[in-house]
Amino acid sequence: MSSIAVSPRSIAWQRRRRALAQAWAQYRRHLPGMIGLGVLVVIVAMALLAPVISNHDELRAVNTVDNPTWATPSEFPPLGTDNLGRSVWAQFVWGARISLLVGLAATLIAIVIGSVVGIAAGFYRGVGSAVLMRLTEWFLVIPFLPLAIVLAAILGPSVRNIILVIGITSWPSTARLVRAQVLTLKERLYVERSRALGASNRHLIGRHIFPNVSPIILANLTLTVPIAILSETTLAFLGLGDPTRASWGKMLDEAFRAGALSRNAWWYFLPPGLGIMAVVIAFTLIGSALEEILDPRLRERRK
Amino acid sequence: MRPVKLLFAAALAVLVALGATAVATAQSDDQEKVVLTVGVQGSVFDSMSPLVGQTAFDYDVWNNQYETVTRKSAADFATTPGLAESWEASNNGKTYTYHLRDGLKWSDGKPLTAKDIAFTINRGREESWLNYESWVANLTAKVIDDRTVEITSSVPDPKLPGLGDIYILPEHIWGKYDADEISKYPGEDGVGSGPFVLDEFKRGQYVRLKSNPNYWEGVRPIDEIVFRIFNNPDAMVAALEKGEIDAAHNVPSQAMEKLSTSDSIVAVQGNQGGFDEIAINGGDGLKKPHPALLDRNVRVAIAHAIDKQTLVDRVYLGQGSVEEAISPSADPAWVPEIPADEQFAYDPEKAKQILDDAGYTDTDGDGVREMPGGGEPLEFSYYVRSESEVAPPVAEFVSGWLAEIGIKLELKPISADELITVIGKGDYDMFHWSWTPYVDPDAQLSYFQCNQIASDPADPTNYYNDANYCDPEYDKLYNQQKVELDHDKRLEMVHEMLRRWHQSAVYQVFALTPDLQAYRTDRFAGWLHQPADVGPVIFSNTSPTYRNLTVAASSSSGGGGMSTGAIIALVAVAIAGVALIVYFVRRRSTAGERE
Repeated sequence: MSSIAVSPRSIAWQRRRRALAQAWAQYRRHLPGMIGLGVLVVIVAMALLAPVISNHDELRAVNTVDNPTWATPSEFPPLGTDNLGRSVWAQFVWGARISLLVGLAATLIAIVIGSVVGIAAGFYRGVGSAVLMRLTEWFLVIPFLPLAIVLAAILGPSVRNIILVIGITSWPSTARLVRAQVLTLKERLYVERSRALGASNRHLIGRHIFPNVSPIILANLTLTVPIAILSETTLAFLGLGDPTRASWGKMLDEAFRAGALSRNAWWYFLPPGLGIMAVVIAFTLIGSALEEILDPRLRERRK
Repeated sequence: MRPVKLLFAAALAVLVALGATAVATAQSDDQEKVVLTVGVQGSVFDSMSPLVGQTAFDYDVWNNQYETVTRKSAADFATTPGLAESWEASNNGKTYTYHLRDGLKWSDGKPLTAKDIAFTINRGREESWLNYESWVANLTAKVIDDRTVEITSSVPDPKLPGLGDIYILPEHIWGKYDADEISKYPGEDGVGSGPFVLDEFKRGQYVRLKSNPNYWEGVRPIDEIVFRIFNNPDAMVAALEKGEIDAAHNVPSQAMEKLSTSDSIVAVQGNQGGFDEIAINGGDGLKKPHPALLDRNVRVAIAHAIDKQTLVDRVYLGQGSVEEAISPSADPAWVPEIPADEQFAYDPEKAKQILDDAGYTDTDGDGVREMPGGGEPLEFSYYVRSESEVAPPVAEFVSGWLAEIGIKLELKPISADELITVIGKGDYDMFHWSWTPYVDPDAQLSYFQCNQIASDPADPTNYYNDANYCDPEYDKLYNQQKVELDHDKRLEMVHEMLRRWHQSAVYQVFALTPDLQAYRTDRFAGWLHQPADVGPVIFSNTSPTYRNLTVAASSSSGGGGMSTGAIIALVAVAIAGVALIVYFVRRRSTAGERE
């Protein structure tokens, strides 16, 4: 090897980079995963470029009093107007931001809570662990929608509250999954050996448990995002979303209320519907691809 | 395999047979009863008690259930005989003696006598029943005999001899409750004297009325009236087109044109003085609003920021007319002309100027103004009635316009019956709603008196002044007009008090809005506009339509589309058929193996 002094840390980093490159190589061969990634890149790019590709002013009815109402896409490109003359394209593009933001942020909350609870409940024994698991089960059996509706109604309709509501109602499945993995991990020989050598609990969790459950957490993350986005849509459709911010759920709600279905104003309700579908499928494809690559057992079965 | 398959086929056959019987019985039940179904939107029925219910929808229950001493004609609201067949005046027009019809009975068979009338008027006055107060405040009823009642007004009363807004209650039911209990009594007993009485009220779902067997004009040809609640305007319109409902109220404006092209549907733009307003909490109720709203300057600035014409054009699709002041009557003569210099014309620059001058500036640069000297930002709560087709788009416009002058609105979706409680508690800054006035302006004017503000936290729905704004001068004028018999002088007083109210800027009326309705002509005939030609056919002032309806000559149960039951039966038969074919095909294909 080279004459440069090689520290243990740099060896570890090299190993990690190699593993990452290997994983990416595997991912690239995974066609559904690549399709999902492609779709997601397009939608994220659209959301990020919202100010460039659409006019923010056209979101507010007060700015569009000169636009025709219910204009078809050919009369008012690219996607026509709604019952108040607002541009459907602008709503679609800016709505993608809110839908993605809520989906990702809520998932982040759910994953953090779920991972912490799962690791703690799996690693430690005793009353605390039992209480945590009962709490998880309690959250798991509460019907999600009524709980989310009640919380959203109490907290009030704003993007931040919707994120909170979805975040604190969708962590239990992650917690259970992580706990199950932690339970098997901590009985492994290398963990026992490390413990015998005098490693602290903190060291065990940080060095051995967490790195080994992180692939599961990552895969679970991509599978929780679509659920969170669908939840946002549901709440917005029920009129519990932020009424001042365009989101895909709010578009569907308003299209439904304004009678877009009976007018056959497809350009109003199809874009948000298809958008939600595309994002959900994209995340699901990515999630299952990651699961296969990161979980060796699944990989072997595939071959 | 075989026995199991046979069993399956047999089970299927039994199921189909059961389904068909169920459908057949359901249909025969339907055919026995003549049901008029009226579609409405959202949880709009508030209370079945004529003492305290507030929405225009409740009134159609009472219009059917409770006969009045005199009626108002369908054509022009003229006073016509009701429970009383004749009356004469004495004592300079302050006393009227009413002669009741012979053999009047309540729907439960008990006799209806002058005592019931005296009970309603006297207790209503003594206990200030919310919905009765403006009608009976000066009246005293004296029983002469079972069929004669003498009603005296302590002051000259321009409304007499008309008593068409006083729903006469059965004393043998309501008399059981004392002054405190009676306004909390839900009134769902279903005992009345009108053509139809309450059968069942399921909040948020439906109200069902049944025919009154003792109705004095004779039992009506309709057995039941069902007010069916829809949560989506499209579903209501579709149900009307399919003939599942016979009439619809609050039809979406964009559906009106389509409905009017149908042969068996008539679309109605019913004008009866209804108006839409954006109300601001004036702060004299149980709870204060945002401190800025106590300042008239802020309210005036808000008024200048709202473009009424755009609301009418964009949200009401032109079906309505821009208005400044409250319309207190179905007769447009009572609406005052607001002088041009007092009008709050759409002028956002002026609105900003007013706020700047009054010291409301944006000190922290976030686009929202703060109270003078910094501090609390101008963020107001604004309630949006979620069942209304127009409330969400109006909120979208109003919040946009106010954002332009540096005021932020926090939009809060709410149902109509919940909003009544929120307003009573004073727990709001702004909301958008509408009123449908009576014919005589007195009642609508009475609502904005100081004593009509909710004052008891335990009973937050016992009020009418939903602006929570008290103007003693307005009250003074109100009491003067109430006893003014000279029509022109009274008109002047009413105009004066409405101008005062307009200038307070707590109530920003923006449009006179017609009731958009549609009804089918194939099952029932006899729909009455009140007033004639221009008025609505249902949810009108006294809704004479219901007792006038007859089963249309062309009506037949097979007239419309196929019933749901028949479709289910057909599908079941089709499935059974397919199952049988599959069974025989499989039987043939496996015949070789079996043999």
